[in-house]
Order: sequence, then C-alpha cells, then structure tokens
Amino acid sequence: MLGYICKYAPIEIFESMGVQMHRIEPEVSNFNQADLRMHPNVCSFAKGVLEEVMTEDYEGVILTTCCDSIRRLYDVLKEQLPDRFIYMLDTPRITKDAGIRLYENRIRQMVREYQQFSGKCFDEERFLSLLKKRKAEKEKSERERNGAGSGLSVGIAGARANQNIKKILEEKGAAVAFDLTCTSLDRKILVEEDQVMTGYVRGLLSQFPCMRMEEAAGRDQLILKYAHSADGIIYHTVQFCDNYAYEYAWLKEILKRPMLLLETDYTRQSYGQILTRIEAFLESLGREKKTKKTGTGGKQTMYVMGIDSGSTSTNAVIMDQDRRIKAFAVVRTGAKSGESARKVLEQVLAQADLKREDISRIVSTGYGRVSIEFADENVTEISCHGKGAHYFNPKVRTILDIGGQDSKAIHLNEKGEVTDFVMNDKCAAGTGRFLEMIARSLEMDIDQLGPEALKSTEEIEITSMCSVFAESEVISLIAQNKEKKDIANGVCRSIANKSYSLMKRVGLEPEFMMTGGVAKNPGVVRAVEEKIGSRLYICPEPEIVGAAGAAIYALEAEE
Amino acid sequence: MLEVRRGETMSIVDKYIHYVNQEVKNDPEKGWDWMVRGFQANKLKTRLLPKKGLSKGYQKLEAMMMSLVADSLSHEGSYVWGNIFAPCEILQCFDKRTLSIECLSCYFSGYHLEDYFIDCAQNAGLAPTLCSYHKTFTGAVESGVLKAPEYAVTTSLSCDGNLNTFRYLEKKIGVPFTFLDVPYDCDPESVDYLADQLREMTKSLEKVFGRRFDEDRLRQIIQVENETRKSLLRFYELEKEHYYPGEIISQLYLMMGTHLLMGTEEFRNLVNFMVKDIQTYPRFEGKRILWVHLLPFYQETLRSYFNGSRRYQVIASDIVLDYANELDASDPFRALAVKTIRNIYNGSYAYKAEALGQFAREVDADAVIHFCHWGCKQASGGSVLLKEKMKEMGIPMLILDGDGIDKRNSHDGQIKTRLEAFLEILDEEDGEESDAGRKNRIDGKKEKAC
Repeated sequence: MLGYICKYAPIEIFESMGVQMHRIEPEVSNFNQADLRMHPNVCSFAKGVLEEVMTEDYEGVILTTCCDSIRRLYDVLKEQLPDRFIYMLDTPRITKDAGIRLYENRIRQMVREYQQFSGKCFDEERFLSLLKKRKAEKEKSERERNGAGSGLSVGIAGARANQNIKKILEEKGAAVAFDLTCTSLDRKILVEEDQVMTGYVRGLLSQFPCMRMEEAAGRDQLILKYAHSADGIIYHTVQFCDNYAYEYAWLKEILKRPMLLLETDYTRQSYGQILTRIEAFLESLGREKKTKKTGTGGKQTMYVMGIDSGSTSTNAVIMDQDRRIKAFAVVRTGAKSGESARKVLEQVLAQADLKREDISRIVSTGYGRVSIEFADENVTEISCHGKGAHYFNPKVRTILDIGGQDSKAIHLNEKGEVTDFVMNDKCAAGTGRFLEMIARSLEMDIDQLGPEALKSTEEIEITSMCSVFAESEVISLIAQNKEKKDIANGVCRSIANKSYSLMKRVGLEPEFMMTGGVAKNPGVVRAVEEKIGSRLYICPEPEIVGAAGAAIYALEAEE
Repeated sequence: MLEVRRGETMSIVDKYIHYVNQEVKNDPEKGWDWMVRGFQANKLKTRLLPKKGLSKGYQKLEAMMMSLVADSLSHEGSYVWGNIFAPCEILQCFDKRTLSIECLSCYFSGYHLEDYFIDCAQNAGLAPTLCSYHKTFTGAVESGVLKAPEYAVTTSLSCDGNLNTFRYLEKKIGVPFTFLDVPYDCDPESVDYLADQLREMTKSLEKVFGRRFDEDRLRQIIQVENETRKSLLRFYELEKEHYYPGEIISQLYLMMGTHLLMGTEEFRNLVNFMVKDIQTYPRFEGKRILWVHLLPFYQETLRSYFNGSRRYQVIASDIVLDYANELDASDPFRALAVKTIRNIYNGSYAYKAEALGQFAREVDADAVIHFCHWGCKQASGGSVLLKEKMKEMGIPMLILDGDGIDKRNSHDGQIKTRLEAFLEILDEEDGEESDAGRKNRIDGKKEKAC
C-alpha cells in the first residue's frame, strides 16, 4: 500500500499497476515523532502524517511539493525510512502547457523509479481502461447526486478538512452544500485516447486550484459562485498552515454570506473545539435541529431554568414566563462538572423556593453543557451569551466574554441574533486562568488584582504573547522591584490588547458589553475601555448572562 | 536600519522615532512621509557619523543599504516590490531597484512599528502563525501607511508566503506582479521551464515600464555579479585570519547586497574595498560562528555577545551566499534560472545540509547557530536534520527559537540561557583541544553537538 496526501498525486497510475492507494488522513493523539524530528511550528497535518507513516505499514508515500511543511516532511521521512518508496513529486504551480509538459515528464520519471523499486509494471492500455472506468463511475455518481435534491445549507472551503466537520454537520441535521477543500473534491478525469498521459495530467492540473497554484487568483470568484447555494460557509484552516488565512481575510471582505473560521490541528482532542464552534454557527444560522424534546411538564406559573457550566463557575438562572428572573446562583466548578451542576440546581431551587418538578424546561450551556444529565436541551454558550446580552441591554452589538478558560467576541444584530463570533480556547493568555496565574505570582488574591491595577502610576508593557512566558516576564519584573500595582495594570492591558483583536475581528460595532467572571475585574474593564475608546456595559451579575440566555431559549421552546 | 543606540537616552533620534510611531497610527499618509524623511536623515547620519567600533567596510555597507531604501522610497517609480529571491539583475536592466518586503519590514521596525503592523494583519484575518516579515509588510498595507509601486516580482522560493502575500496585495491594493515558479529539481528541463518564465517576465516589464529590454546589459550585470561573488569568497578566505568588527545586523546588510544590489558596480566596489580593508586588521583569535537563517538584529543578548566582539564573531551566514558558483553570462536567462534552482533554500534539505556542511568547512567555522524564525516552516522543519549533519562533521550546533522581527516572540531569558551554555561548551572545548584535535574535528572525526 502506498500513501498519498494531495489531490494532484496521480493515484490512478499506481492503481492501474495493482497498487492499493490510501489517502492519509491522520487523527493522532500526540506529535511525539514530529517534536523529535521536525519542529513544533510545522503544520499540524504534516506532523500528523509523520506520526502515521512512522507507525503504520506503508510501502511508501507519494508526496508533492505542495508546501514548506510537506517539503520538510519528505526530508525527514526519506532519512528515517530509507528502504521505503518515499517520493517527492515536484508539482508545477503553473498549469499552462509548460507546466503540463513538465509534470508529465516528472510523473513518467516517478513511474520508472517505482517500477524499479517494486518490480511492478506500468501498462498504458491498462491505465487507459482504468481511466475510462473511473470516468464512467464518476458520471454515474454525479447523476445520482443531482437527483437526490436535499435542503443543503452549509458549504465548506479552505484547507484540507478531516471528516469530523461533515460528521458533525450531519449529526446536527445540516447538510453540506459543497466542499471545496482539497480532500473532498471529485477528481477531474480527462480521457484523451491519442495522448493518454498528457490528457490525464491536464485533468489533474485543471482541478479546482489549491492556494499554491498560480491559478488560485480566481478561487475567490468560484467560491462566491458556490456560496449562493449555502446559508453559511465554514472556512477551514489547519494550525501552522498559513496559506488559507490569506483567502479567509479576503473573502471576509467580499463574501455576503455568514462565514465561520474553523482551525483544526489533526488531533483527536480538537473534536470538542470544532463541535462548539459548528454548533454555535448553526445556531446563528437559525437552522439548529433540536437535540432533545422531552419536556418536564410544569403547571400554573411557568418556570424555566438556564444553567451555564463553565470551567471556573457553574451558574443557574430561573425565569418565569414573563421573562423575569426569579432566582440565580453561582458556584465554583469542581473537578466534575455534573456534580457542580447538581449543586447549583439545589441552590437556585432553594432560593426560588421551587421544586424540580416546578421547572418546565432546562437548557444547559457552557463548556460542560453535555455533561448535565437533567437538562432537556443544550445550546452553545455563544448563542446563549448573545441571547442573554440582548435581554439585559438590547442596544448591545458587540460582546466580549472572558471566562476561565476561553475568551470570545460575539457580534449581534438589532434582534439580538448572533451574526459573527470568534473564540480563543486554545491559548490561556487573555483568559481568567491567566489572571489567576499572575495573581498567584504577585502573591495577591484574584479579587485584589483589578482594584490594585487602578492605582497604577507607571506604564509597564507585558510583551509576551504566551501565558507561560508572560508569567516569567512578570516574575522578572518582580525581581526588578517593579510595583505590584503597575505589573497588575500591565497584565490587565495585555488582556485588553488580546480582547481588542478578538472584538475587531467581529467588527467593533458599539454598544459594547462585557460578560463572564473577568468583567468583575475593574482593571481589565478600564483597560478594555481605553483600548476601544468606549464604555462597556456590564450588568450587575456578569457571570449569569449565559445562563439567562439559556433560560430564554427554554422559554422560547415552551412558547 | 534606523535604531537607537545605547546611551542615547531620549535623544533626538528617540523622540523622532516616537513621533513617527504615533503619527503613523493617527494619520497613516502623513506618517509615511515622516517615515521616509527619517530614512533620508538616517542615510546622512550613516554617511557622516558612521557607527563607531564597526570596520570601515561594514560602515559603508550600512550607509549603502540605507541609501537604497531611503532613495528608492523617496522616488516614486524608481523601484518594485520583490521578495528576497526576485531576480534584481533583470530589474536593473530597466533601471529599477528591487525592494524586498522582508527587508522593508525590518526598516519599518526601526520605528518600532512591527507590533502595530503585525496586529493590523492579524486583525484582518491573517494567521498568527504566519511569518512575521510577511505580517509586518501586509499590516503596513492594511493600515494604509504604505504606498504601492507600479509592479512587483516574487518567486515560489523559498516559502509559501511569497505567492500568497503578493496575490493578497494585488487583490487588496492592485499591485500587479510576476510570479516565478521555481522547480524543485535541477535538470535541463526545469532550467528551461524557469528560464522561459524569466524571458516572459522581461516582456511584462517592457509593457509596464514602456521601454525595451536589453539582453547585452543583462550579460554585463551578470559579469559584475560574478566578479562580486568571487570577491566575496576572497573576503571569506581573509576572514579566517583577520578580525573584521561587525554586528549581527551587518550580515543582514550583506544579504541585502547579494540579493538586491547583486550585479551593481557600487556593491562590487564595496566588496572589493572590504577585501583590501580586512587585510589592515589584526588577527582574529576568537570563535568563528556560521549563522544559519535569519538574524534577529534587535535581540539584546545576541547583540551583546556578537557585536564588535573579539571572542565570538559571526563570520558568515547562509542567507548571504546561498549560491556560490559562477554564472554563465553568455546565456543569461538559463544562468539566472540555474542560480535560482540551485539556491540552497530550494530542493531537498539533504542538498542544503550538504552545501552548509561544505560552507562551514570552507569558512573554517567553529560552530553553527541555526535560528528558527517564527512562522518559517521551511527552515525550522529542517533544523534537526542539519544538526545531525553537523554532528557527523563534528561541528557543534545550537538551535535557537525566536523571531527575526517581532520582539514579542523572542524571549530574552530563553535565548540567553541557551546561548551562554553553548558558548561555555565552545570555550571549554578550546581549553581541551590542541590544533591537531581541531583539524580532526573539521575533518569530521570527532562528534560533538549541542
């Protein structure tokens, strides 16, 4: 079996020689080999392929000169596995005749080398009949697909995407309108009987161009054309593969459809992060299929509950049918989010003087939303924060939510619907955890950090963008006898800078609101206000905004 | 590049930099004019008051590069944007300078604007993991500071960012460009493929600039280029014996020379001057470092250890001499194609490691430092392979992670600890090693790597 990764790889040639071709789609749990033999900053896909090829039994791998990381992957594989057929196929970026000629000759050379390596034989007649067969199969499947006629709504574009995105979309009841990533496009098979190889190569190079191709200049127009058939587009990028972000930056300006930027890293662990973003995106498109619809059955005055299970606190709100908050409670999240949820349930019911059966419906949200067994439905924290923010102040258009382990910016329209959001849940910098770490280094209570920052007299800049390095920078500042209040203020400003980038990416439309536990920190609030040049609306209990939003979702479901 | 020197506390230069930094953020158009004026002022300064402690050649080199940037930016229509591997020889035939986006980004950082520009680029949606040179430049465009030239030229060598950045800029502000696809292999067919693109490029340039291309002139330029390269090799020979005080930034200036001014008489004359001048300097007894990849010229610890040091000297960098052979002036397009394809940044890493090994041997390097610049996958991804190669050859090698331009990605504490430990190892080795032992090491018999 030979592995391959790229749509420009001429797999049909090998198949006509009786070789099993396998497209490598890694899903790994670590990058141990890559960290040892490459560098952590190489593209996650390339690192994943290295892990897979080093552990699985491939006869060889066909790589193309598609990007810098793959070029280095080849170098490492070639060195590590000298007895296997590790081949670098130079793929031209120019698809005109000169490119086709060069690529054909390169492919012929590769076939000669593989014949020598394997003892197998390439036969052009066999190749031609395989191409004809493939072409017929393709046409048949296209006819079937066109006849299916479904209510497709989400398109996928950008860098190669693993199957999880489609899987989640299917599970959530959304269909895929199109997939323009290189892993899903149908092969373009050209059969020219008088020049079989040249025709085949022309077909390969005339596929929908990837970003490395000169022709990619026209991708934006093609994507715009496709976009009409979808309600929204998921634009996928791979961590440390920077090529597609250029296109995202450009499309963001010209595309009139909602677009979600989704970055993955080819690890199994990234599934949860993808799930939250896709769910929130579908909710914002208004196409979410309700997951459960059991209902708890209430009587007389109707009460519903929203419960927000965050990494630091678990918050609950009970609301009546007139949208009045009857009671709320906030507890620290322990090691098990399910237990904290039960605790907050007891507390909030006690405060409202109600029993469990008085609650008609419970909607859970937040990072631990799926672990709350007693909830009737779960909705992402992004949609719930949007709903909650609109409930507290309908003028709000941009929300900054800084929680314990993530931060996000959300844009709302005048109806309070989420129109765009960005989320940072991969890096601790700019989150509540980061503030806790720094407070520990400064030997002060987390609640003191904000008020202390307000007393600052000297401007100190924390330049490190990583929380671990920022912490060591803070320790150096302490060693330099810098005042705690000034360091605290520097940290608040560093969070404000990160937050500003997030808010800017959703448009910075006033009015602004801050939610989440960090909104209680006056130092961060001041720093953010200075950075955006505007006031932040902060409701009396900024931690319960998500739970209030969840309660409104519950009410809407009952209505 | 514009920079504040130690000891000049809140000097006029400081104040000017601060003023420009703020002006760029408040009023980008005016800010740009102030930036260019500042470059002009610094050009005069580098000529009239060159840095003390630098050898004369490096002083002249700094002034020459400042002139290149200041004069080009002051005269609209005198330059094109390029990447560092764009064939400046062909542009010279049209009397155009090539200003590489990587170098311009460094000059912008003289006003401490790199973080602002990088944030602008990231806020527009570019990936935080992208090369900081490309982000700085794109951010300068995004923020409305930079004025667009008539044309640009880029190559697929040496990184993915090139085509993407230039394509993005074309869409964003309408700068048309020629893209040169550099093949991976160096067979006659690949050489023809690139040579044809170069020929095609001259036709595009003829249309853009409204003048005829003169192939004879290209031959003459290549002749000058050959003389320059020969002189540079002679300079490296002499550097084995002589101390020639420079700074880490001097290597970047030399790289600008060999990439943006290659084939010009002024740069050839300067290298010839350096060859004569170095012979007037005393013997160098310290450690000779070969630097691989970019140099973070602002980095405090590296400056303190290498700038003007008699103990440790960065004697050469692969980014300066990435192709060392003579070009066939009689067949200029094929010659430039071969030069580009056989560049050590192209092709397999085995080829690069082999070439670097040979270079280390030729310049008699005591050690190699490989700098992994943030976002540069093609360089970082091969650093472990290079270390293995150096280990085989018995040359100690240090891998440093950081950022060539964005200070926020280079942590001084981490760089300092690694560098000091490495230099301690080199110094220790000095105590143990006799001349014969040193020779053995160079011959690859002793294995040591860090």
